[in-house]
Amino acid sequence: MSKSEQITRTVGKPPILAVALLAVVFAFGLFIVGFDQGHIFSVIQGVDAYEELYIHELTHDMRHAAGFPCH
Amino acid sequence: MKTIVFIAIVLASGAIAGLVHGTVNFAIVEPYLDQAIGIENQNLFASGEEEDTLEFWAEYESYRIWQKSGQVLAGVILGLAMGSLFGIVFALSRNSLPGKNDISKAVFLSVIMWVTIYLIPFLKYPANPPTVGDGETVVLRAILYLSFIAISGLSVVVFYKLSKKLNGNKKYLALAGYAGLMVITFVAMPDNPDEITAPMNLVNEFRFVSVLGVSSFWACVGITLGFFWKKFDKTPQMEYS
Ligand SMILES: [Zn+2]
Repeated sequence: MSKSEQITRTVGKPPILAVALLAVVFAFGLFIVGFDQGHIFSVIQGVDAYEELYIHELTHDMRHAAGFPCH
Repeated sequence: MKTIVFIAIVLASGAIAGLVHGTVNFAIVEPYLDQAIGIENQNLFASGEEEDTLEFWAEYESYRIWQKSGQVLAGVILGLAMGSLFGIVFALSRNSLPGKNDISKAVFLSVIMWVTIYLIPFLKYPANPPTVGDGETVVLRAILYLSFIAISGLSVVVFYKLSKKLNGNKKYLALAGYAGLMVITFVAMPDNPDEITAPMNLVNEFRFVSVLGVSSFWACVGITLGFFWKKFDKTPQMEYS
């Protein structure tokens, strides 16, 4: 084991950066499937996104099936 | 285990379990969604909001195909999300989870998470097919549902830590504490404000297949992550480098 490896090696707990990255995936994915009403595409598409609801339609069936509130 | 391997196996197991979830839903939940949306269309015709024309059905078919094809993709996205949560909790709790190896430990954790952040909240706020919900109350319903999940999930962590401090039979006090808090939360939280206007047997059958779908995810994610972990982690205590 080289010296630099020894420094970065931690036992027992996962590195904070990995946890942070996975936490972002968790929050983002849950939002897309469970709650998005056009917010995400509005970033690039503007207000039209709220009318078109691409992501909402695409995740719509899973939203009902996984028990998230919908219509 | 290298950090990148840790991230990769967590995401892979989430995606695989999500793919299973989406596929199961496609096979067993879609027929009920079609039925419910069929009722919804009849209501639209009856109220005069839409007309029973060829144009209506052409448009309907085109977006239903889009919605259905999304089921599997959305399963993978949701799987990545819930799989990430599962991976974080597993990495943090692995050393204290019961079980002979990583597979039994991961399965144990997936059962705990399935019960506490899915099944218990579901009993209070069960899934509903289309036509049941009122669009006006969707934000309120989302807040209620998420609050119940958060209360249940966080109390498991708190009572679990408490149980570590107690000895022998006193450990059951923590379990009783969690159960008590869940009963209080269950009674205290307001009910879903929407009235169910769809036929009750359709709603019940929909709920049943919906539970099967979500359960397929939790069963799969535990086994998959446990399997990967066993394969890639060669140290008795997890080491990251
Ligand atoms: Zn809906």
